[in-house]
Amino acid sequence: MTISRRLAWGALALGLAAPLAGSPFRSARGRINIEETARLIADGEDHVAPLDLAAWIRDRKPGLRVIDLRSPAEFSGYAIPTAANLPIATLARASFAAHETVVLYSEGGAHAGQAWVLLKALGVAKVLFISGGLVDWYVEVMTPRLPANASPEERHAFEAKAELSRYFGGEPQTGSAAPAGAALCPPSGQRPPPRLADIRRRGC
Amino acid sequence: MAVTFTNALPVAFVIGTAFGFALERAGLGDATKLAGQFYLRDFTVLKVMFSAIVTAMLGVFWLGRLGVIDLAALYVPETFLAPQVLGGLIFGVGFIVSGLCPGTSCVAAAIGRIDGMATVGGLLVGVLATGLAFPLFAAFYASTPFGAFTLPQLVHLPYGAVVAAVVVMAVAIFGLAERLEQRR
Repeated sequence: MTISRRLAWGALALGLAAPLAGSPFRSARGRINIEETARLIADGEDHVAPLDLAAWIRDRKPGLRVIDLRSPAEFSGYAIPTAANLPIATLARASFAAHETVVLYSEGGAHAGQAWVLLKALGVAKVLFISGGLVDWYVEVMTPRLPANASPEERHAFEAKAELSRYFGGEPQTGSAAPAGAALCPPSGQRPPPRLADIRRRGC
Repeated sequence: MAVTFTNALPVAFVIGTAFGFALERAGLGDATKLAGQFYLRDFTVLKVMFSAIVTAMLGVFWLGRLGVIDLAALYVPETFLAPQVLGGLIFGVGFIVSGLCPGTSCVAAAIGRIDGMATVGGLLVGVLATGLAFPLFAAFYASTPFGAFTLPQLVHLPYGAVVAAVVVMAVAIFGLAERLEQRR
C-alpha cells in the first residue's frame, strides 16, 4: 500500500469517527443579536400569557415543548401539565429542534427570563417564557377570579377562562366567595396567597 | 506554548516557510502545472488543496475534541457573500492569466522564475490600487454580511457529521482524480 493510500484510509477513519465524537467545543458558545433580541423584548414577543399557554396545551399545539427550569425536587411537587424538567444549569447540554416552540418557566420569572436570553444566544428560534412564572400560572389558570361587580361582557369572557381552568383541575372563583372546592380543603382555603407551597397543596 | 504578540511573528515566519516548502515540493511553483488543473490535465492543485483542507479540518476537530485547543478562540473569517463572489471571480481570472495564485507566485519568485516575480509585482500593485480606491467601493465591500458563517450552520448538521461528509467527498474525489490521471 502506498503512503498516500494509507493517509487516505487514516483520514477516512478519523472523519467517519467524527460524528460519534460529539462537539469539539469545550463549552457551548452563543452569539446574540443584541438589537433583534432587544426588539423582541420591547415588543413583548419574548413571553406568553399563562392563559394562552394553557390553551396551547389543551389544543395540543404542534411542536410545543414546555420546560420547567426548577430543581427536580420542586418539579416533582407540582408542574404545569406536559412540562419536562430541565434545571437551568443543564440548559447548555439540551438540544432543540427547529420546529419546536419552547416555553420556559421557573418559580417567579427571573430564571426563565435569563434562560430565554441563553437559548436566544444558542440560536433557538422559537422560545418564550411565562413572565410571572408558576405563580402567574397558579393565579391566572388554576384560580381565575371574577370580580363581584363584573359586567355581563366580563362574565361571558370569564366563562371561557373558567372552562380552561377546570380542564387543568383549577378552581375558578367568582366574587369574594370561597373556592368551589373549599369544603374539601382545610379552613385556611380562603384565597390562598399565590405561593408554591399552596400550589403543592392543590390536591387537598 | 501560548502564542503572544511578541513571538507571533517568528511563528508566522516558520509556518510560512514550511507552507512555501510544501508548495514547492508539490510542484506548485510551476505555472504550467497549475494551469493544467483548469484544463483537467493535472489534478495536483485539487489534491494539494483538498488534502490541506482535510488535514486542517481533522486536526482542528480532533484537537478541539481532545481539549488541546480551544476551538471557540479560533478566528473564523466573516462572510460577505456578494463582494466575495465577485472577488473570487477576479481572483480566478488572475489565476488563469498568470497560472499562479498569491502563495505559489511567492514560491515561483523564490525559486527564480521570472513569471513568478512578475506576478508578485502585479500582486503588490493590485494591493496598493485596491487600498487607494477603497472609498469608491467601501459600501459594496461590507454588503450582504453573514457573520462568521460555517458549514455546520449552513446545513444544520452537527460539526462531526459535516467533517465526515467533507472527508468522504475529498477521498472520493482523490480516487476519481487518480483514475483520470492514469487514463491520460
